[in-house]
Amino acid sequence: MALITTENLRKVFPVRKRLFGGQEYVTAVDDVSFKIHRREVFGLVGESGSGKTTCGRLLLRLLEPTSGSIYYDGVDITKLTGRELLSFRRRVQMIFQNPYESLNPRFTVYDSVAEPLIIQRIADGEERRRRVIEALERVRLTPAESLLRRYPHELSGGQRQRVAIARALVTEPDFVVADEPVSMLDVSIRAGILNLMLDLRDDLDLTMLFITHDLAVARYMCDRIAVMHKGRIVELGSKEDVIENPQHPYTRALLSSVPRLHSLSKT
Amino acid sequence: MGIIEYARTSIKENWSLFRRSRMGLLGLAILAFFAFLALLAPIPRLIDDMYHPMVGVDPEISYSTPPSLRHPMGTDFMGRDLLSQFLSGAQIAFAVGITAAVISVLIGTAIGLTSGYYGGKVDALLMRLADIVLVLPGLPFIIVIAAALGKMSIWIIVLLIALLGWPGVARVIRAQTLSLRERPFVEAARVAGAGDRRILLHHLAPNVLPLTFLYAALGVSGAILTEASLSFIGLGDPSVVSWGMMLQWAFTTGHTFRAPYWILPPGLAISLLSLSFYLVGRALEEIINPRLREP
Ligand SMILES: Nc1ncnc2c1ncn2[C@@H]1O[C@H](COP(=O)(O)OP(=O)(O)OP(=O)(O)O)[C@@H](O)[C@H]1O
Ligand SMILES: [Mg+2]
Repeated sequence: MALITTENLRKVFPVRKRLFGGQEYVTAVDDVSFKIHRREVFGLVGESGSGKTTCGRLLLRLLEPTSGSIYYDGVDITKLTGRELLSFRRRVQMIFQNPYESLNPRFTVYDSVAEPLIIQRIADGEERRRRVIEALERVRLTPAESLLRRYPHELSGGQRQRVAIARALVTEPDFVVADEPVSMLDVSIRAGILNLMLDLRDDLDLTMLFITHDLAVARYMCDRIAVMHKGRIVELGSKEDVIENPQHPYTRALLSSVPRLHSLSKT
Repeated sequence: MGIIEYARTSIKENWSLFRRSRMGLLGLAILAFFAFLALLAPIPRLIDDMYHPMVGVDPEISYSTPPSLRHPMGTDFMGRDLLSQFLSGAQIAFAVGITAAVISVLIGTAIGLTSGYYGGKVDALLMRLADIVLVLPGLPFIIVIAAALGKMSIWIIVLLIALLGWPGVARVIRAQTLSLRERPFVEAARVAGAGDRRILLHHLAPNVLPLTFLYAALGVSGAILTEASLSFIGLGDPSVVSWGMMLQWAFTTGHTFRAPYWILPPGLAISLLSLSFYLVGRALEEIINPRLREP
């Protein structure tokens, strides 16, 4: 059974008002329906502005959809409030594009990783500390103790993104949205982060929505891929189908703009 | 992970930068000197009753005398010791300046954060209120209130200064909050399940803290000047000896041009102390502003 099902999802943003005449709107996500299976890495690819991030935010209830529904484990999450919303938050997490921006500059590594535990009242005292260290070790930041009191500006980009991943996984979620998690990182450390995410998926039985505009990365990471264009999904299939045998002209155009599709191979 | 701890680390981080500012250090030195004087204020009256700044009178003197061994800074028109009045003035200046600045900065920060974070109607309402207070002419407004209330207490003066001082702070903190709330770490906090309260107190407030410090320092300077002006024109608290009050007594008893030993010390002290807070504030601003621009 699918972990996530979206039906006719739409998100319309009001943008600036015109001087004469009415309000203008942008349809960021337009009539999108898909399923994400358990333990699957589901890729969302498309050019900038195609609605990928908006789609991810909708799935995590960071935005309210204009219309349509989202089922998580059979429950329509667009109607959750209060305590139910909080326990939903415990099961889903997000890894952001820019690790320089997604960690609060005034939080130490410990503060950042412990925050979800504190909010969810999952563990306190020694237990909390133990869980934080365990999460840091899981993302291969060792020795973890020596990092606890560091601030983000004292860490490298790769270390920061690992801290962000540790923070996302410390509550042991089932579902993670990764929004271009390596695009801001140096090319030399990308493969390390991607492999880490695949290993964590296996170890923790994660389901993932993986957003990227880089088809090489999508091919490496994903089981199935959906191609977004102007808010709509124009093609959806297994990565082999989408990349070896694209049906939609937009997918072909996207593929032809990627010269080095075979340069990233599994290690 | 409280706000106190942020304050502590932020002070530690910034001290090394502050040390490079000569004007800031000068300001801090003057400030420390007057703080020391303020601490000495209770001592004279312990030595002898006649050194009480308000009710102590030298039994052998009934007119203003220049500095002497008995009265190192001279006496006022009825034989009260000017040194003990001067020390008491330092104490009042700190009490009034710091309390008024802290209250107005607290109000301003709370309103700025709320306004910037929630936006919409709340923001519109609070900012209209700030505009109204901002256009009130400060000193004349307090004078009218003072006249209406009759005699003033020092704490009413402090409160009035504070209530007039917050809008500037609120505007700056609001602008800062508007840009902070769009930063991805706020969304990351929401993903972790944080509610509005946690985002405001743990994520936004610590990031506006440096600005709050800056405005507190500048606010003290303004509050000291306002209290001095009020006392000088006779609207101060008559039960308290402040520097402005000393000047007023010298003025109304016709000593302005005859007793430099009486009017110079409080006059200079008012200027120097408010200047010192201003210098410290400017030095803080130099530290904070380039940092605000960096992500
Ligand atoms: N909060 C918002 N308010 C108004 N418009 C928005 C908002 N968020 C996104 N949009 C608009 O919605 C459209 C889709 O944006 P989105 O961020 O989802 O694209 P994306 O595929 O993630 O792009 P990128 O690759 O640049 O991250 C864009 O036109 C964008 O300007
Ligand atoms: Mg995006």
